[in-house]
Formats: sequence, C-alpha cells, structure tokens
Amino acid sequence: MKILNPSPEMDRRSFVKKVLNGTIAGSLFLAWPMGGGSLETPEEIPGIKGKDYDILNQEFAFIVDITRCIGCGSCCVADKREYNVPDGNYRTWVERYVKGFSDKLYVDSPHGGLDGYQHPRTDIEEEIRDTFFVPKLCNMCKEAPCVQVCPVGATFISPDGFVLVDEKRCVGCAYCIQACPYSVRFLNPITKTAEKCTWCYHRVRKGLLPICVEVCPTGARKFGSMKDETSEVYKILKGPGVLTVLKKEMGTFPALYYKGARREVV
Amino acid sequence: MAFSYRIRLLIVLISLGIIAGGGLMVKKVFIPESFGVYGPYRADAIAEAALVPIRHGTNTSCFKCHAHEAEIHKKGRHQTISCEFCHGTYADHVADGKKIGTLPVKKEKEITTLCLRCHNTEIKARHEEVIKTVAMPDHLKDQHVKITHNCNQCHYVHAPLKYIIRAKQITGLMEAGS
Repeated sequence: MKILNPSPEMDRRSFVKKVLNGTIAGSLFLAWPMGGGSLETPEEIPGIKGKDYDILNQEFAFIVDITRCIGCGSCCVADKREYNVPDGNYRTWVERYVKGFSDKLYVDSPHGGLDGYQHPRTDIEEEIRDTFFVPKLCNMCKEAPCVQVCPVGATFISPDGFVLVDEKRCVGCAYCIQACPYSVRFLNPITKTAEKCTWCYHRVRKGLLPICVEVCPTGARKFGSMKDETSEVYKILKGPGVLTVLKKEMGTFPALYYKGARREVV
Repeated sequence: MAFSYRIRLLIVLISLGIIAGGGLMVKKVFIPESFGVYGPYRADAIAEAALVPIRHGTNTSCFKCHAHEAEIHKKGRHQTISCEFCHGTYADHVADGKKIGTLPVKKEKEITTLCLRCHNTEIKARHEEVIKTVAMPDHLKDQHVKITHNCNQCHYVHAPLKYIIRAKQITGLMEAGS
C-alpha cells in the first residue's frame, strides 16, 4: 500500500514507530549476548552469558596475588596472542624485583616477561634479601588521568567501570600515554592509535575471564564481579587481608588490587 | 542602499537561520550519533569493544574434541595449565567449527625450556606451596639419568606424575590405587 499524501496522524504514528524501533534495536545491540560464533564457551563469570547485560549496574575488580606469581610469563604470551600486540609493546607485563640487603632495588623485565624468566640475575654483587614478580596491567582507575586529558573523547570510563579506547575517534596525540601514571598505554605502530589493556572487555562481555586470568597456572591473577557475592574477588575484598593499590597518593582509585605487594612496588 | 525596516529584519532573521542551520549541520556531521549517551564519548564504542571476537577459547573448548588428553589433563597436577599456552590459540586452530590449522607441539629441548619457565629453582620467587621447583642439572643427577635427558622422558607433560606414580606402584614403592 502506498500512501501518497499521508495524514499528519499517520505521519506521527510512523515517526513514533520508527523511534521506538530504533530505541529497541539500539538497546538490543547493547544488551544482546555476544556469542562467540560457533565456539561454545563455559560461563566463567556468572550472570553475563545469554542474559541481558545491565551496563549501569556492574562492578568488577582485579586482584593480583604477588605471593603466588612465579614469573612464568603465561599471561604475557596469551595477551600478545589474544590481541596480536606488535613486538616491543605490552598490554601486560611481569616485572622482576630483587632487593638486596642494602635495601637497593633491582628491577628488570626482559621482553616484558614474554620469554619467562629462565635465568637469575647475575649482575648483582650483594646478597639478595627478597625477590618477587609483579605483574602489571591496566589499573582501571575510577578517576582516570588518561580519560581526563583526552582532547577528543576517544578514551572513556564505560558505565561498567572499564577504561576503553575508541579507536575510531583516537587521533593518536599520545597525551594519554604521558598521563597514565602506570605506563600501561602505548601507541600502536600500525593503527597509530592509543592502545591499552582492557581487562579483556570482549571476553568479559561473553562471560569469560580475561585471558591472563584464564592462563595463569597458579591463580596469581583473579578477576570477578563485585556484584556477585560468591565470586573470589568479592570474598577477598570483603575479607581482612591486606590489599594495596599502586600509587595511591595519585588519587586515581584503581580497581586493580595487589596482595602481598611490598612497599617498594610502584 | 537603504532597506526598509521590514527588509532589514528579514535579512537579520534569514542570516540567523543560516547560522543556526549551519551549526546544526556541523553538529550532525562532526558529532557521532551515540555521543553523550553515557558521557562525553561515543556510546557505540562500548558495543564495538564487546563484539571483538575472542582468539583464545578455554580448556573446555579444547576438551570438546580432544577427549583423551582431557581425561589425563584433568586428573594430573597440570590441570590448571591452559592448553593454549603451550599449543597456541583456538582461533589459529578452529574457525566456524572447522579445523583451519595445526597447532605446534613442542619437542625435545623446547619442552625442557618450557618446563623450566615455571619449575626452575634458580629463580627465587617461587614458593614451595605454589610450585614444585627443581635445579638443573642436579635433578637429573639425583635421579640417576643421563644429563641430556629431556623432562618429558620421565614426566608425561599433561600429567607430570602419571608414569612416576605408575612406576612406583609397579615396584611396590607406592600402594596401588593411591
């Protein structure tokens, strides 16, 4: 049926219809379960897969247990593979801290820990008091300096608490790279846009754990929802154990917590 | 040239209209549609980030086809290790339910190197309650095997104590079924 001269009534109705359709389609686009094609995946974070994702009512936390990290570099390898991170750039890396009896600190991270740590350091003269590994990744600050400085609104804190980069808007000015107190950002040499650890947002939205958590053989990396009272991170954060955040004095309020971090860890 | 009051008013109004219309046009062209839904950024970028395909599956994805390895891996001490760490990503192996490539299997010295990524005692930050470590080549000497031996000649990689427990059971050092 073709209406050549639609009445104002008709026009208004179709307008409302269109708007409603648009809104519903739009909200479905945001809420629809992001299935991974033919790949069937288990539900590692409960309440996300196949359900309406309420983006406004989510909170996640990441805990790194330094006392369990063995510096195998599985996380770094998996992260590089998951995102095809260009050589020389790291979304996550593992640092080795060695502390001598003089309180002098020796920190290194060859290839960001990609090849693991096969050999002990031989260049340290004094007796070693303490040695440990510190995995580093995005701190997902609640007051993120990188978001504040972005001149084009390309980096933002999503309503569910992830600091993400909109590749399409990023102009590659690298201001955020300077602003990040944790040095987790880099300029992708291929796309020329800022890139960073996203706590595997694409996996989380499919109900999967971030890949570094997935592959960690010792459980040094833990991730979960703070809205789920049965999750491990919720229990740890609610419990009496000492957790620290990096560079607390900067007022960035990270959602990344460290367990067993010595005061030297920055 | 002198215009009447009405003409001048009309010119002003038309100019204002052009400026406002131009402004709206510029806004429409330069500001993305979903900008400002949640804040001063493009809200669609969130959905786009969520839709990125995953490259790693989980161990469950591997076990669906590799049932034999699954049975051994799940029982062994290496059950917490991700298949994909040693073998490569799911995305390089399977696409749309079909095999698209063969993942590499580590061989000989590569295996020893891989084992020592985690099990090397020389790296001090490895606590006993987290991981069992060995010093090389002391461990080989202690076990009275050739110094050229690779780890997998005694330890089955998917369940490192599988053969060792079996051998102990056969020789009577360990009770069967334990």
